[in-house]
Amino acid sequence: MLKKLLLTGAVMASMAGTALGQDSYVVGISGALTGPGAGTYAPVIEAVRMYFDKVNKAGGINGHKVDLVALDNQSNPSKAAADTKRLLLQDNALIIVNSSLSSTYEPMINETNRAGAPLLFGGSVCPTQVFPKADPLLFCTTSFGAHYDSNMALAFIKQAAKEDVMIGFSAMAIPVSRGEIDYAEEQAPKMGFKPVAKEIIPPPTANYGPHAVKIKDAGANWVYSWAPWVTQIKTFEALRTQGWGGKMIAFGHINAEDELARVKDDGFYVFGANALFQEGLPIHKEIEETAKAAGATFPVTQLAEGWVVAMALDAALTKTGWPASREKLAAVMNDLEIDTKGLRGGPVKWTADNHFRTDAFYRVYRWDSAKNAIVSESDWVSFPVN
Amino acid sequence: MARASGYLKTGYGQQLVLVETRMQWMLLALLAAALLALPLFASFFLLDLAGQIFLAVIGAVALMLLTGIAGQVSLGHAGLLAAGALVTGILTQEAGAPFWITLPAATIAGALLGLLFGLPSLRLKGLYLGISTLALHFIVVFLGQEYETIRGFSTGISVHPPRIFGWELYDPAAWYYVLLAFDVVVVLFALNLLRSRTGRAWRAVHERDVVAEALGVSVFRAKLSAFVISSALTALAGAVFSYYRGFVSVEAFSLFVTIQYVAMVIIGGLGSILGAILGAIFVTMFPYAIEAALETTGLAAALAGYVFAINYALFGLVMLAFLLFEPDGLAGIWRRLRDYFFLWPFRKTPLAGGE
Amino acid sequence: MQLLANYLTLAALYALIACGYVLVYRVSRVLTLAHGEVMMVGAYLLLTMGTLFHLPPLPAFIAALLMSLVVGLAIYWMVMRRMAGETVFAAVLVTIALGILLRGAMALVWTPRLQYPAEAIAMENPSVALGGSVAVSQASLLIIASAVLVYGGLFLFFRHTTWGVRMRAVGENPRLAAQRGIAPHGPLALAWGIAALTGGLAGMLLSIDTGIDEAMAIIGLKTFPVVLVGGLDSLSGAIIGALVVAGAEILAIYYVDPLVADVAPFLVLLAILMVRPWGLFGTREELDRV
Repeated sequence: MLKKLLLTGAVMASMAGTALGQDSYVVGISGALTGPGAGTYAPVIEAVRMYFDKVNKAGGINGHKVDLVALDNQSNPSKAAADTKRLLLQDNALIIVNSSLSSTYEPMINETNRAGAPLLFGGSVCPTQVFPKADPLLFCTTSFGAHYDSNMALAFIKQAAKEDVMIGFSAMAIPVSRGEIDYAEEQAPKMGFKPVAKEIIPPPTANYGPHAVKIKDAGANWVYSWAPWVTQIKTFEALRTQGWGGKMIAFGHINAEDELARVKDDGFYVFGANALFQEGLPIHKEIEETAKAAGATFPVTQLAEGWVVAMALDAALTKTGWPASREKLAAVMNDLEIDTKGLRGGPVKWTADNHFRTDAFYRVYRWDSAKNAIVSESDWVSFPVN
Repeated sequence: MARASGYLKTGYGQQLVLVETRMQWMLLALLAAALLALPLFASFFLLDLAGQIFLAVIGAVALMLLTGIAGQVSLGHAGLLAAGALVTGILTQEAGAPFWITLPAATIAGALLGLLFGLPSLRLKGLYLGISTLALHFIVVFLGQEYETIRGFSTGISVHPPRIFGWELYDPAAWYYVLLAFDVVVVLFALNLLRSRTGRAWRAVHERDVVAEALGVSVFRAKLSAFVISSALTALAGAVFSYYRGFVSVEAFSLFVTIQYVAMVIIGGLGSILGAILGAIFVTMFPYAIEAALETTGLAAALAGYVFAINYALFGLVMLAFLLFEPDGLAGIWRRLRDYFFLWPFRKTPLAGGE
Repeated sequence: MQLLANYLTLAALYALIACGYVLVYRVSRVLTLAHGEVMMVGAYLLLTMGTLFHLPPLPAFIAALLMSLVVGLAIYWMVMRRMAGETVFAAVLVTIALGILLRGAMALVWTPRLQYPAEAIAMENPSVALGGSVAVSQASLLIIASAVLVYGGLFLFFRHTTWGVRMRAVGENPRLAAQRGIAPHGPLALAWGIAALTGGLAGMLLSIDTGIDEAMAIIGLKTFPVVLVGGLDSLSGAIIGALVVAGAEILAIYYVDPLVADVAPFLVLLAILMVRPWGLFGTREELDRV
């Protein structure tokens, strides 16, 4: 009887603990290691893991190791909720990282808010709650962000276009993509463009031809797409097949660098917030070396996004000191500057109101067949985020 | 089935009871005790798994009633779950309705949809019926997506935990008991339904509907009632699910969910509520069992990237194996095991048809 | 008009995929829901012919097609053969389970990333101008050509060759055919094999055009309504069905709303099921038999 009571007590205590009894910083990740969308998120998680393996080998942060617990939620909202609960209640994670489809957001946000733990979106679309005025516990390092991306793309088109712009749009039939393209369509007239076509394409489409026809027939000379890479590239390829000679700008997803080299088209621009490995910065070399030493399964060009997540975690934990708690960590993250060492155009700065970044940096790249390489069209452009 | 002998039934009441012998009462009591005591020892993870199983049981029982008993093929199960969850989500977001309004509303919505899904059954049978329910599934999902987009819930609709007199239902252990209670009610309901006129009419329609009609059973009413009751139950399951998870997102209700429930019914064994329960347990635990198995072999880290695909492949393989080699499913295996132990040391199995 | 070109391409694709369904159904009365996955297998085999064996286009195609044929035969021999005598619903569930198994196995072997067989076998897919500002990809032309060839071939096969007649006999009345000395296993296996071959061909050509990833199976599912509209056991019905459904989809994309286009095939399906369940050209008794 007594043993049972003690056992129950111990179980209850371990389930209810919030203070840390262990010797390391516990970071929980719930992401799509496998399953739908894993192609986008698994490289992020791998990069974070590689980063902290290296840090731990060098002695950890503030003298303590970082314990990374990554659970595969397979982009399944139920599993994400269950895993997050477990990371918070059983593993006592200080902070949770989300790296999976947006359908996993709500359940994870519910759990982390309840537990008073910060939730970092790394690699997954930044939800509206991280923009000013931000929710106290939600943060995001992901390179793409609603509205600012479109502002960037439209600004670029304005500066690069040599004639009047008749702009066509392409989105995937998922709420996030549609919302953004709707916004872009609204903004286009303000830049002096004429929106002529907007195609919303259901995900499992066999033939992008009919959609491309509409854009081409409407007379678009520029096309902007903000959607999963599949939609963007297939729209472009269908347009080219039908003899369309215009230019297209799309968001540079994690595989953009490899795809630019595959498609080899001078008229295809991608914009993104991560510096491509083509640039050969010291930070790129560092990532390459670490990846080679750790035997990464993903191409090194896809690891930049995850590296930034890791840098953010590193900066936050370092500043928090030891012993750490969720409250302390959240407070630190409300006023943090993360040095991205050139991977982003500048540092990622978080304030109490802004958990996205105070300035969003972008760069535009395209393939240059004359040089047979990817070139960047301009220097870093920054947009203040307010 | 092999039962202890020597129990004489002297009244109709005795014939109708669900639990017959003292032995059965004892076993039932043991099971109940075990189930009630589980939360005291279980880790959070096990409690959540149990919660998922209980939820699955409700859906599986509903599908079993429709497909296993009434013989109506339905491939729109996920659509019905989604409908129940969406109604809950919409009412919660738009009207702030509490659970004692949303749950009945979801059930009624399910019943209405069941009417709609069931109308083709009056003209079609078997595969064609399945296909028309499949088409309806896609339409429900489409409507859900449109709602999410139009109202700006691109990441899903948040549903707050139900409140009863100010106490919030959030703790895993509390949910465990609530879901267990739900399950008991649903199972009792189903068992009694099967013994009633409606249930017998369903079985008759399943066997030979022409003969059933000749015997005076209204095939029209039987088929429609099967769809309506099953769909209402399924929508209720979807609504409870949305409270359990605290959110609703149409992406969570894919075709694969339908296939999982069909698998529960098949693997469990068509035709009995026990089959539904066993199937629900099996299919829900399957991915976790695979993960656990992988960890014991020590290959977990190496195969981490492939877990999903392995899961998928093995699921198909197991479903295939049951369909090809074990058509009676887990319930059939259970019965064989039970008969073996009951009849021991006699080795002979009972005559066929002795259930 | 460009629209017409896109329409014909889409219709040809659907028709090519649909004939696999019809073949299997006509001969064995089973609706195979694993056809989408079979398509993918064909495309992945083509990819492997390129990445592993570095074959040039034509040998790669021939090799991949032959292997698809073998895959179809294997499916029959190892799985479907045991379902003889069971209810149709059970057989269909078996195909669903098989589809899931294939999907998982393919993800294991080839990973779910988007891959490009055209690159692997060094096959170009240039845009072909058809005159008058109309242009399609070369792969689209191949799809149309293949559909015509396949259907022509199948019509001749069923009408004039011994094996074709045997398959029709087994499909119409297995018992009677057996009495006349036609063992069912041969025709049934062949039906599955040819279905896998045509499905694989469709998958291969589609992957040349747009690459292969795990989403291809859904296209197989969208072809369902095509088969049902035309009639589950009618090849000519499949052609008509393809034209109707592709037409509905293109019209929806162009004049209504692309999102409706996604649901359009299923709306057509529902309509047909309500009005004429056995399809435009199918035989009426199909309805009661299931």
